Amino acid sequence: MLVARGLGMRFAGPAGEISLFQNLDLTIADGEAVAVLGASGSGKSTLLGLLAGLDVPTEGQVFFNGNELTAMDEDQRARLRAGRVGFVFQAFHLMPGLTALENVMLPLELSGSRDPRGEAVQALEAVGLGERLTHYPPQLSGGEQQRVAIGRAFVTRPRLLFADEPTGNLDQGTGERIIDLLFQLNREHGTTLVLVTHDPALARRCDRVLHIADGALEAAA
Amino acid sequence: MKAWRYALKLLLRDYRAGELRLLAAALVVSVAAVSSVAWLADRVGEATSGRAAELLAADRVLEGAESLADRFAAKAAELGMQTTRSVGFPSVVLSGDRTQLVAVKAVETGYPLRGELLLQSGLGAPERRAEGIPPRGEIWIEPRLLSLLDLEVGETLSLGAMDFRISELLALDAARGNVFVSLAPQVMINRADLAATDLIQPASRVRYNLLLAGAPATVDAYEAWLERQDLTGIEVERPTDSQRGVGEVIERARRFLGLSALLTLVVAGVAMLMTVRRYAARQVDRVAVMRCLGATQRDIGWLMVWKLIWLGLFAGGIGVLAGLGLQAGMLALLSGLLPETLPAPGWRPAVVGWLTAYAGLLGFALPTFLGLRHVPPLRVLRRDLTGRPTGAVTLYAAALGVVLALMWWQASDVRLALTVFAAVLGTLLLLGAAAAGLVWLIRRRQRRGAGLLQFTGLVRRPVTSTIQIVAVGLGLMALLLLTVVRTDLLTAWRDRIPDDAPNYFLINIQPSEVPELEGYLNDTVGVDTRLYPMIRGRLVEINGEDVAPEDFPPGRARGLVEREFNLSFREQPAEGNRVIQGDWWRELPAQPPDQFSVEQGVADELGIAMGDRLTFRVAGRTVSAGVTNIREVQWDSFNVNFFVVSPPGLMEDFPATYITSFYLPPDRTDVLPELVRRYPSVTLFDVGTILRTVRSIIDQGARVVELMASLTLVAGIIVLLAALQVTAEERRFETALMRALGATKQRIRRMIRWELLLIGGLAGLLAGGVAAVAGHAVAVYLFDLEYALRPVLVGYGVLAGAAVVWLAGGVGTLRYYRVSPMRLLRAPENG
Repeated sequence: MLVARGLGMRFAGPAGEISLFQNLDLTIADGEAVAVLGASGSGKSTLLGLLAGLDVPTEGQVFFNGNELTAMDEDQRARLRAGRVGFVFQAFHLMPGLTALENVMLPLELSGSRDPRGEAVQALEAVGLGERLTHYPPQLSGGEQQRVAIGRAFVTRPRLLFADEPTGNLDQGTGERIIDLLFQLNREHGTTLVLVTHDPALARRCDRVLHIADGALEAAA
Repeated sequence: MKAWRYALKLLLRDYRAGELRLLAAALVVSVAAVSSVAWLADRVGEATSGRAAELLAADRVLEGAESLADRFAAKAAELGMQTTRSVGFPSVVLSGDRTQLVAVKAVETGYPLRGELLLQSGLGAPERRAEGIPPRGEIWIEPRLLSLLDLEVGETLSLGAMDFRISELLALDAARGNVFVSLAPQVMINRADLAATDLIQPASRVRYNLLLAGAPATVDAYEAWLERQDLTGIEVERPTDSQRGVGEVIERARRFLGLSALLTLVVAGVAMLMTVRRYAARQVDRVAVMRCLGATQRDIGWLMVWKLIWLGLFAGGIGVLAGLGLQAGMLALLSGLLPETLPAPGWRPAVVGWLTAYAGLLGFALPTFLGLRHVPPLRVLRRDLTGRPTGAVTLYAAALGVVLALMWWQASDVRLALTVFAAVLGTLLLLGAAAAGLVWLIRRRQRRGAGLLQFTGLVRRPVTSTIQIVAVGLGLMALLLLTVVRTDLLTAWRDRIPDDAPNYFLINIQPSEVPELEGYLNDTVGVDTRLYPMIRGRLVEINGEDVAPEDFPPGRARGLVEREFNLSFREQPAEGNRVIQGDWWRELPAQPPDQFSVEQGVADELGIAMGDRLTFRVAGRTVSAGVTNIREVQWDSFNVNFFVVSPPGLMEDFPATYITSFYLPPDRTDVLPELVRRYPSVTLFDVGTILRTVRSIIDQGARVVELMASLTLVAGIIVLLAALQVTAEERRFETALMRALGATKQRIRRMIRWELLLIGGLAGLLAGGVAAVAGHAVAVYLFDLEYALRPVLVGYGVLAGAAVVWLAGGVGTLRYYRVSPMRLLRAPENG
């Protein structure tokens, strides 16, 4: 379970302090798929960073399975993430010098898997890239790169998956196929999904849709 | 995560992706430079160390007059020690019409007591241990004497009044006292033949040695007894002494070459700093993803440390192998100067090489690498976050600290290390300021619209261009100094010697031979010359206080006190001598005979001033006098000169030999064999041959240093390439944009070519300019030579710099204009 209480984020701006949002409360149950919908600059990526423990809020608390992320230092949060949290990014974030297979092996190695190669091959086969194991990211199309990223996100069977505009860099057809794949794997693994997007159609595929606007979070109708 | 395994994987991947090649190359060059010197010094040093007793051929050697040794030999025999005697002196051997200066060693049965003598029955024949000493009537000679005299084994040569048959070649006499090949080849005869040669006359330059060997306890007992004896006129040599002289030469050469090697490391370090910075910048995203996926700061830190450990292991290994090859090259360049057979290369220099690799990585790479720990995971969402890259102060402090530490280690002396460090830093700053000035001039010219659009790269990246110019310039400068300036200086020095300067010296002339020899030289040989008395004495007191070698710093001053001085007496100052303090005796109102005139250099070295009273011991007696004048002597006139001279009347009673020098035109050398035959005990030195040998030794040594300087240039080229790589993305973008705007490939190629030629040209300009000024300064202020500034050096520098940079940089920039503008725009990051 992922719980946020009284979450607030303020920045020092050129004209004094800017409050991105304040006093946000949020509870996401295990296995639930939640979409956070919002316009550019609304703070949805910042919220995702806070929920994932990549950053700390200026106020409030975040709990993951009862562990208070906001009371941990960055290294403790990293250890908690390893193998338990997966990410899919808009910009893919694959390592250019590593092959598709090696990219997927990376989180397995970080979480101390016994057979990173075997598991990574399986994960790539599951996303339909069994023939592309030794390709480097620049040799893959955008859709293929995002499939590698999805393979990397699911390979450790994480409890929690964060997706940040996963189709933002893809054309519509490719984007739809990627989303199908994402939700299919999500169902198969029973993963909790937090998806950030500005696309209402994509958001509607989740169990619950939350709107972020003017620093407040509301459940969409 | 097993950091070591994962780091290895990532490192290999990065290497495949071309990320680390220049960093590895910079490491390889540094390690090769440092380890090659370590190997050279180690092998040459090994040839002497641990074999100290062999170098002496005994456990103790007593040197002194012949008769003095008897009671010391008797005591040794009483203690049950082995003893033998040898006599050493320079002389001239004669074969047909050829003469050659040699070092004669006459030995008795039992020689050597320690170590071994290796013989060959002919050139190229296998070496074998000598069983015994040369039989009577036979002579064993160093192989090179065969070619010098055009002789073969079995033939005969004359030594003094006796003919000897060459029966063996001396492949190795460890106890020659020096591992280096000396000017005079060695010959060995049986002591029993010595008298028949007629070579030994009173006051001849002869070393009588008593060699002793025994069990350690016996040697200690003898040593204890020796301490209670009056050792006046006797010198005791211990194994450590014999090693010291050789050791000092090796140590000095090692320090010099070691510090030169560090210059390569400094330049390569600049390349490392540049490539590591780029590498780290390109790692930020990867690290952010890893952090996001759960890697802790500690994980990242260890990953980076392990990457460097692996990099050091591989690049260090290749560098060590390259160093081994270089060392073989250096030995080949020094062939003839060193013993033919050296100990096999050991493992220690390999360790030195690896440690250098790690020291380089510690100073130039680790701080930047560790900075990556601070990359925040949030960077995956916010591109503007870069974490806390290591600050410039930390980076430079680490780099300079490691360089200073390495210099200290190479110099084994804090002051020397600090001096060299300051000199290197000063030179770099000076070159940097000059290069920055040149770049500024070109930028200003371009801004005025002089139409130099081609030079955009140079103009738009002034700092990078300055670094490139300095790095390449430094290597070029070292090479120019070593090749052109060195040759110039030697030529200038040779030109200063008058054509008719004396080219032959005769020493060991007996007083009884003086009138006849003088007549012979003047009438028969046809040279106008005078013979001068020479008395050998050791400086024992200054102003009544004992003089001990330990009171002086090692080097020339100590050497002067350890050896015997050549003293003389004369009425008039010698030609080319100038009194710079005090007055020559004839000008003094009263003319007491107890006066000394001292040569300026010796006075400076030993701190002797006007009015000081010097006491010399000559053949067991002492002679004292006050210093009444100090002379400046022009040594390279090759006239006979002495450090210390007295007026007639002070030293006539002391045993003396005579010496002279004269000029003999090359077409008159046919008189020399007859001269040697008539006066067998007189030793003839051929200055021309000695000068040629000295010059060839300097040339050989210089070539080794040139090799080191070439490595510095290679490091400079790596800096050039690293700078090209660092700016590659920018350049790709510029090129793609220009091509998209309609620039042809040819135009871009021309632009890059101009930039490279200009960088090389400017580097050469600086190198040539500094080399010309430095050469001039060294010639005029250090060597007092006439040597004009040579602007042609600048020309050489510009040509060489432009060519080197154009060739090396051309390869590095090929990629920029070979790819289409589309591909460049589409994939700016993944080239």
